[in-house]
Amino acid sequence: MSVTRTLGAALGLSMLSSAAFAQECTTKIGAVLPTSVDWGRPIAETAQFAVDQVNAAGGAAGCQIEMVLRDTQVDPKVGVDAAKALVDLEGVDVLLGAVSSGVSMPILTSVTVPGGVMQMSCCSSSTAFTGLAEEGKTNGLWFRTFATTGVQSAVGAKVAQDKGYKSIAVLYKNDDWGQDMARLIANDFAAVGVEVTTSIAINDAQPSYRAEVTEALGTRPDAIYLALYPAEGTAAVREWISLGGTQNMILANALKSDEFRDNVGMQYLGNALGTDTASPRSDSADAFRAAYQERFESEPNGPGLANSYDATMIALLAMEAAGKDASGAQIAAAVARVTDPDGTPVTADTAGFAAAKDVLAGGGTVMFKGATGNVRFDANGDVSAPAVVWSFSEEGTEEVEYLTLDEVDGFIASLK
Amino acid sequence: MIQNLIDGVLTGSYLSLGAIGLTLVMHILRFANFSHAELLSLGAYCALVCDALVSAMAPFLAVKFAPLSLTGALMISILVSMVLTGVSALMIDRLVFKRVREKGAELSMVFASFGMALIIRNVIGLIFGLSPELYSRDIAFAMMLSADPLILIKPDQVFVLIAALTLMFILHLILSRTTFGFSLRAVAENPSLAQVNGVNLNRTIMAVWLIGGALAAVAGIFYGISHQLIPVMGRDLVLPIFAATIVGGIGSVYGAVLGGFIVGIAGNLALVILPSGYTPSVPFLLIIIVLMIRPHGLFGEARA
Repeated sequence: MSVTRTLGAALGLSMLSSAAFAQECTTKIGAVLPTSVDWGRPIAETAQFAVDQVNAAGGAAGCQIEMVLRDTQVDPKVGVDAAKALVDLEGVDVLLGAVSSGVSMPILTSVTVPGGVMQMSCCSSSTAFTGLAEEGKTNGLWFRTFATTGVQSAVGAKVAQDKGYKSIAVLYKNDDWGQDMARLIANDFAAVGVEVTTSIAINDAQPSYRAEVTEALGTRPDAIYLALYPAEGTAAVREWISLGGTQNMILANALKSDEFRDNVGMQYLGNALGTDTASPRSDSADAFRAAYQERFESEPNGPGLANSYDATMIALLAMEAAGKDASGAQIAAAVARVTDPDGTPVTADTAGFAAAKDVLAGGGTVMFKGATGNVRFDANGDVSAPAVVWSFSEEGTEEVEYLTLDEVDGFIASLK
Repeated sequence: MIQNLIDGVLTGSYLSLGAIGLTLVMHILRFANFSHAELLSLGAYCALVCDALVSAMAPFLAVKFAPLSLTGALMISILVSMVLTGVSALMIDRLVFKRVREKGAELSMVFASFGMALIIRNVIGLIFGLSPELYSRDIAFAMMLSADPLILIKPDQVFVLIAALTLMFILHLILSRTTFGFSLRAVAENPSLAQVNGVNLNRTIMAVWLIGGALAAVAGIFYGISHQLIPVMGRDLVLPIFAATIVGGIGSVYGAVLGGFIVGIAGNLALVILPSGYTPSVPFLLIIIVLMIRPHGLFGEARA
């Protein structure tokens, strides 16, 4: 009984849909995301959510969109194979992903750039991409909706400037992230006229950081900048304080931890200010939260969800702007038309996409007000993000200052 | 420069204590015990628990001996931990190493010790969590001996150095003045010949583990006082301790003491000439240099 009913319903549905889409076509876009890890799955679901909204508005560039999703397993080899299959076999012109910088990078250099495919990552933060773009090796095909470590370093420099520190010693974790931070912060400190007295690598798993701390102490700085993780951060800072080093500290976001606060002690952290990127406080971000909650019945609290949504939406808006049968390069070039600060504002939902279609059809430009705020790419495909300055409190951490996207952008521009 | 030298001596004091136990075990039982550094963790965490217990039971013992961050409770804990860690070392030998020694080859012992190291490290992590622990959350400030050049010394570290030197001196007296010391050296030299001459081999091996474990406990606690306790501290310390042992010459207690100080000083001085990213290579460089000049270490002797 129920079988026939289901069959009948299915038949009816398929007839309905074939009637509705009688004159329509389907364009495939690719997505390479780590769906096999627990935090990767929601990122992919959020991308699909954006695709569904666009399809509800009639699709992009006259066609319904089908997102072909492949798993990267957070493995560069698997990711490259998946991307190759999507580009060569499925013939996609737009590729979403990957999450890890280490996976996105080989895909970019060996698949999307040679294949002329636009790549839009939700979550890769390495500044290596910026370097690659500056050398002109991305052909303008690379974008990401995740802020680079550059934002945090710029805010660190702003804190030093606001506090009036004249000289700063830098202690950084000796890994990709720490080296990146140390390099960026040195430039940013120089730009605001703060002297970096010394920059010392802190290696993992050393029994003692006494020598490193002594070295930094010898330069007698006004303050120290710490790009460390809590384990070695605690050891180094306790050593630093016990040797009479200054308690003026600027901390990278990795030290925003209760473990660090408890083991160093609140009484020594009164002058410690931390930096971090923040989610935007705008109506469009709230709207995304509400829409996400309605669709998934949970808060969008996982990493990269808002970024994944915006990456997908912008890619599809760009496809719409580039028109039917556009190449990857043409779609990439159209990104500027949909993230134009002077363009017509559009919301991040079905109605917004429909509105954008009208504006773009009339030759206008739009400003996408997304889940991560008003997304704006620079020449290297990078975005900025709002930031917070925080300090430790008895309960945990508290916000000292919130910097909007415009303030962050303004400050970063003033550094150059 | 002077500061680095002083820091090196202070670091060297706990490395030496660790190396003494290792060199005895390596010489007498003839295998590279990679789990020795875990005995330092064991001892340090043992004292952490004991310290908390004693402080809770007798609060008057939890008062610090200014300017040290040391308390009476911790002093008692050091002694308790020495005994417990020594016994633990003995138990580990009974349960694992003895069985492997009777059946397996030298290489099996090395692998067994790797396994033992992982087990101890992870059990400690399981019980105490992976975050750092401290004997005292208060930061003990350093005293300035001179402003230019800047020389700073922490009172705790002076205590650590004096205590370490005292322990070494006591061990020296035992080894050089007592029958027990002679039998220990005899076993190290030639186990069969020592047995023929009436030395109880099993009892000597037991003594080696007890001494090694007890000294390791002290080294671990001193490390904890100077820095912090983390479950992976054994992993961080195993290389410097091995370097100290090899540089000093396997089997030589005096070599181990000297080796500990050399490694400590070199590690602290390295930053003067090397960029900080490369300083972890210093223990290896030291081993290579010493072995090139003296293949058996500074005080080591070739074995027949």
